[in-house]
Amino acid sequence: MTDTPREQELIVSKQILSIEQTFSTGPIMGHFLRELRDNQRIMALRCRANGRFLLPPREVDAWSLSDDLEWIEVGPEGTLCEFDVVYYASPDPLTGATRNVPYVIGWVILDGVEGLSPLWHLIHTTDIPALRHGLRVRAVFAETRTGAMEDIVHFEVLNTGETGP
Amino acid sequence: MSTSKRKHRNVGIIGCGMSVFSSHREEVNQPEMIHEAVAEALADAGITLADVDCVVHGNMELFEMVHQPDMWHSLGSGVVGKSGLRLTTGGTTGMTLACAADNLVASGLHDVVLAIGFEKLQEGHTTGGISNMADPLWGRKLQAGALTGTTAQAMIDEFGKERACDAAMKLRIIMDEHAALNDKAHRSFGLERRYIKELTENSPPLVGELRMIHMCSQSDGACAVIFAAPHKIKEWNANPAWVVDHETVHREENVVFTGTKSTHRVASERLFARNGITNPREQLDVFEMYDPSAWWGLDWLREFLLLEGDEHLKMVENDEIGIQGTFPVNPSGGVMASNPIGATALVRVAEAALQVRGTAGRHQVPKEVKRALASGFGGTLWSVLMLLARDEPQGASQ
Repeated sequence: MTDTPREQELIVSKQILSIEQTFSTGPIMGHFLRELRDNQRIMALRCRANGRFLLPPREVDAWSLSDDLEWIEVGPEGTLCEFDVVYYASPDPLTGATRNVPYVIGWVILDGVEGLSPLWHLIHTTDIPALRHGLRVRAVFAETRTGAMEDIVHFEVLNTGETGP
Repeated sequence: MSTSKRKHRNVGIIGCGMSVFSSHREEVNQPEMIHEAVAEALADAGITLADVDCVVHGNMELFEMVHQPDMWHSLGSGVVGKSGLRLTTGGTTGMTLACAADNLVASGLHDVVLAIGFEKLQEGHTTGGISNMADPLWGRKLQAGALTGTTAQAMIDEFGKERACDAAMKLRIIMDEHAALNDKAHRSFGLERRYIKELTENSPPLVGELRMIHMCSQSDGACAVIFAAPHKIKEWNANPAWVVDHETVHREENVVFTGTKSTHRVASERLFARNGITNPREQLDVFEMYDPSAWWGLDWLREFLLLEGDEHLKMVENDEIGIQGTFPVNPSGGVMASNPIGATALVRVAEAALQVRGTAGRHQVPKEVKRALASGFGGTLWSVLMLLARDEPQGASQ
């Protein structure tokens, strides 16, 4: 024993929370996901009251408050209207795994959509510096599909040289 | 939308308290950290817990994953035996707390309300928590926390890379200079203006041109603010910052590009129209903005102040937003200096109130503060504004 006062030890409680969750998709998103899985089709809802496209589809248009909606098939090709090149290796909250970087997320206006209603998804490219607004892209579907957004693996950049509007 | 709002009676902020903000407050648990802020707010107001009628308490539970923090914290918050509410709205939580406290006193339901916001980000995973806010049916795979480079890219497209990057870094340096004046701030690096280009180039990119140095901190901390009715303010001879008005603007959650005005601009337009503010840069004396990154802080100046063109860049380039400037922004150092998320927006209100009351200490702006604006921001682009004033507002029904 010595007389030197000891610094107090800080005791912390270390805990890891792992939660299995199951979310209901509902009839609207459920239809969208079923079309992805069974028919490799991307379905948007169009509001008859104001012509706005809802993608991903939603039960009611928030602007018109109307549920007078019609299903319209869109894509699978489209135009890249915005993108983010992500260098920060954040965790994938669905798996806990650290994401491989860099990767690209983008907002795609699918062919057939009128107005600014982009679909948000991963963009696959081997040439990140060449990315620009207006590039043409196409949805690549997974071979094994489960009825989830991941049934689209990513959008691939089409090497057409052409850019959309 | 709500073009007219009338209070039943006026409400004044009479006490503000903050814990020390830091990346790790491992020496205290959550109730103890909250008690630091509560004790300071009570002392600032010159009252005791016996004078408080109701406690509104909030944070973002996804970070610490504690189901009923208001119950765990009751000894630190002082809510035992009192009326209590718990609120959580993500990043805007602190501002929602302030709006709720204002409403509770203005309505006549309670005379004295204590608002408490806290977060101990070190006890959870910030980016993981934010990613889990995304729509579970389609968004979680893609959400990278609160990080996006689209604003940086849009500003680069609009103003050119050199001017946009320099303006963003200039704003970042000014915030760092302000943080050096704030004893409670989590971090101040001593960034030097002469290295403006190197600071950008040498910082690792997070998303596009959003770099590590542009981004807000992850902090532990708590904030407490006391709202009181006019007769109590008179009885206690308190020093109030009057709550003139507040405005909350929501957005359809999962739509990124709406082709419409930003929630910030809409919030300002509504708040200013109701309160006779036609020239915010002249009529407001200080602005505490919830600025999660230097790029957003820069871009949002234009939105909140209803500016056009490159006016917001000039405000930064000409040092107008510095503490000595004509329109000081975040003399506290703002969110890039300290960001305990559930407390962060309440800290904006507290800092604006300190400026109006003339009690901000070393970061008090060197001019008379008659009106101060505070903003809150949430992950799905919610915007909340609160307007404070030195003079008691007219027009309440009582």
